Amino acid sequence: MTRFEAKVKARTQDISDLTERAGDFLQAGGVDLHAAHHVGMILEELLTNLATHDGGDADASVLISIEKDRVFVEIADNGRPFDPRSTPDPDVTAPVEKRSIGGLGLFLMRKLASDIHYVRGDERNQTSFAVSRR
Amino acid sequence: MDISEELAGTVCIVTAKGRLDGSASPMFVDRLEKLTSRHSKFLMDFSGVDFVTSAGLRAVLTTVKKVKSLNGAIAMCGVQPPVREILDITGLSPMIRIFGTRSEGLAALPQ
Repeated sequence: MTRFEAKVKARTQDISDLTERAGDFLQAGGVDLHAAHHVGMILEELLTNLATHDGGDADASVLISIEKDRVFVEIADNGRPFDPRSTPDPDVTAPVEKRSIGGLGLFLMRKLASDIHYVRGDERNQTSFAVSRR
Repeated sequence: MDISEELAGTVCIVTAKGRLDGSASPMFVDRLEKLTSRHSKFLMDFSGVDFVTSAGLRAVLTTVKKVKSLNGAIAMCGVQPPVREILDITGLSPMIRIFGTRSEGLAALPQ
């Protein structure tokens, strides 16, 4: 089994359960610990963003494919239009007393994923990204 | 996530196990907030933490800010490699001294 498909409501506990199942799928599929962790983390960042901005009524479908050199993830959701590539990077060099508490999630996505694509169609956000296997 | 604490001299060792994500981080922040009312030196043993999201990083950063405001000291030990990577990328590693083992962390913290 190299594909994982799921639908999820944008609610904190549902998102946590989904990313845990996705992590189990990736590890069972022989994906290394780093890639498995980072796919789960990025998935949670994107879905949590949906939950924050659109509440628990929003939902998403998730498709994860284990490929030879990478893990490819596609998410389609019915939230308001949001391009995850568009947020500013936080200053990760600021000292602790000046560190902002937000903005780290999508920053991590941009650092750890490649081929980040976003389109809006059929009133849904369609986001995809890849994480290299090591 | 399971969190337990024990004292080694004046250092409060906090052992976390499981996933520090959006679902678990409010509990982590709440527990550490209570502990900072009684202690100011912390060693966070993360050897059992296998998944951390930005919500988890914010929980750690909140605790670090609190401890620094108390002029206390904080370190981590046993951080798993994928978690260490995200601490490094987000620039949190230099704010928290990170050690391989619990004994190394305890030796480095002021008693």
